[in-house]
Amino acid sequence: MQMSEPSPVVLVVDDEIQIRRFLRTGFELNGFVVHEAATGAEAIRAATLRPIDVAIVDLGLPDMDGSEVVERIRSWSNVPIIVLSVRSSEAQKVQLLEAGADDYIVKPFGMAELLARVRVSLRRQSRAASGEPTVVVGPLIIDLAARAVMLNGQRLTLTPKEYRLLQVLAQHAGNVVTHQHLLKEVWGSIHVHDTHYLRIFVRKLRQKIEPTPDMPRILLTELGVGYRLAQSADADNGVPVSP
Amino acid sequence: MQKSPILPGLRGQLPGIVYTLGLVGLVTVALYWILAVTGLTHGSALYLIPVLIAAVRWGMIPSIVAAFCGIVASAFFFFEPRFSLQIKDPHEVLNLILFTFTAIVVSQLATRLKHELEVARQREVDLSDLYAFSRRLAVAFDVSDIHAAIEDHLAAVMQRKVYLFGAQRDGAHRAGAGIPQQVISVVEALTAGSTENSGGHVVTSDSGEAWLVRAVSPKNREFGVIAINLGRTSTENRELLRSRVDAVLADATATLERLGVSRAISEARMRSQTEQLREALIGSVSHELRTPLASILGAATVLSSAPALAHESKLRALVQGVHDEAERLNGDIQNLLDASRISSDGVKPHLEWADPADILHSTLRSCQRRLADRVIALELPQDLPMVRIDAVLVQQALVQIIDNAVKYSQAGSRIAITGESRDGMLLLSVRDAGAGLSEAEKATIFNRFVRGERHALTTSGSGLGLWIASAFVTANGGQVNAISEGPGLGTTLTIELPAVQTAVPQLETDADE
Repeated sequence: MQMSEPSPVVLVVDDEIQIRRFLRTGFELNGFVVHEAATGAEAIRAATLRPIDVAIVDLGLPDMDGSEVVERIRSWSNVPIIVLSVRSSEAQKVQLLEAGADDYIVKPFGMAELLARVRVSLRRQSRAASGEPTVVVGPLIIDLAARAVMLNGQRLTLTPKEYRLLQVLAQHAGNVVTHQHLLKEVWGSIHVHDTHYLRIFVRKLRQKIEPTPDMPRILLTELGVGYRLAQSADADNGVPVSP
Repeated sequence: MQKSPILPGLRGQLPGIVYTLGLVGLVTVALYWILAVTGLTHGSALYLIPVLIAAVRWGMIPSIVAAFCGIVASAFFFFEPRFSLQIKDPHEVLNLILFTFTAIVVSQLATRLKHELEVARQREVDLSDLYAFSRRLAVAFDVSDIHAAIEDHLAAVMQRKVYLFGAQRDGAHRAGAGIPQQVISVVEALTAGSTENSGGHVVTSDSGEAWLVRAVSPKNREFGVIAINLGRTSTENRELLRSRVDAVLADATATLERLGVSRAISEARMRSQTEQLREALIGSVSHELRTPLASILGAATVLSSAPALAHESKLRALVQGVHDEAERLNGDIQNLLDASRISSDGVKPHLEWADPADILHSTLRSCQRRLADRVIALELPQDLPMVRIDAVLVQQALVQIIDNAVKYSQAGSRIAITGESRDGMLLLSVRDAGAGLSEAEKATIFNRFVRGERHALTTSGSGLGLWIASAFVTANGGQVNAISEGPGLGTTLTIELPAVQTAVPQLETDADE
């Protein structure tokens, strides 16, 4: 974070003091102001009392379900919410994302990973506020205003449905978008369970927008949850593959 | 078997004889036509066909009928003078004698063959019944389960009503089931041990039905006493059934004794209780360990990037050590959690259409760090079929398999990952150039807590990985196979999943574009 901007405020909601402690240190070292809450009720109170820029919400709170906290905050605020989840609960992740969470991260996680998620959400928020129309992922440029997609400077021809799919992902650039959400946005609500539509279109879309469709680095799969447009097409998104 | 006892032999033969006559008629017509068309004169050997068929299908009597009818028909239709039973040519008389002799020998042989076949088939049915019986015994939990199993087995094999009276079973209680009083009293005498029992007792009830009452095993009273309703049969037939009961019971008691049934029951019960306790313990301990571990890992990542440590490379290395060890511990805990999930409530796959390429890509992404010092070759055809599976489970299985490949191969070696569609199956293979497998290792690598013994000193792990992988793939209706040319020659582990291509719902066309 650039220090010239006002420090972003993060609300950390977790009942484990040790987790809150390392999150506080990690965020403060990276220029954030940290508020803490140990319960769902405290979290909702903290979110109403002071303006916050992003909330980190643990799922296992003692007093209420994580998804309830997300829904309650979402009812008046569109502050980015990142959920701390555990593995092997894809259905729960989807439910939280549908309830309004922006993204999730699986425990245990590293600070760098969480910071990357937080920055993506903050960037998205500021892009939405400023009306910035382009999303850049490595060699891929998506101009949402002109409805144009360029790869390495070359304009791509996408079918309307392919463009719509990419557009929804670009609007959430860097964040995961659930299968259900994509299906609803692209094919309409009666098709929210037809995940095979999505698979086939993602395959086609990757052939067009990925520099190496064999090893996608731009349109990433979050198994059991959805898809994510990478924030940058760097090597972190895949393994170098020898022929 | 429960037909009228009056002349069961002849009445049973009747349909066979009728068919045989039909066959002889058919051959006669065919022969008549053949001789007319070809101008040949000798063709009566064709009558051997009905003789053979009758002997094999319906037995001795129909085949003799066939032979006799064949002779008569030959004499009547084909030998001069025609349409009379007289035969002019002595040559043809000789032919006929030869035919008769051949027909009798052939029908004898064929009948014997039929009998042997029937015996073999009966033996096979008995064996499969016995197998089903022992399988049922293996899952029996208490004495009444075992008694029910014996009862059902005997009823299935004998095709008759069978009642079993165990040591605790009250004879009076069972009287309601339509068992005559005479039978009950013999049963009670046998149960009490006051009557000598060898081949059992045949009791005839007031209604004229014969009942066979005998102990299941003369040696072991625990197994109880049975009463079999033989129905109204001749004394001869009764003896036949009785020897059959003896044979079945001998097999059954041998099975019971071999399994050491009563001891096995109590052992099984104790085993399952300790197993459950152990699983619950592993589950809850692992769960409790996860939270502090998340704090340790998180704190280590904060520390390692802290400005205060920027110039303290030794301290940073220490922190990295904390991080790596915690991560390894986390992997082990995750495996224990997966294992307890598999054994406690089983894996319930969440089936959805998935693109195999998605699974491979996301696996590679999550194995990125571990694969950093291996050369990865990815072979992924464009047209892999969509599969209806739990992609998350398959990915976790694949991660375990890749972990295993990394663990047993050298840095810098090649790991090839292949997706392939063949014979309605989707195959995802991981081939390493590592330690390979011996024949013995091949047989056990998917077992729980099995680790490569040749590598016990150089690698670590719980020995759960491939067991988990195999359980996750099995839950998706597939299987994991291991192929290796031998120790030192690398290993290929393949996940095989059913890919029902035709079942993919039709995609709405993109025509609206």
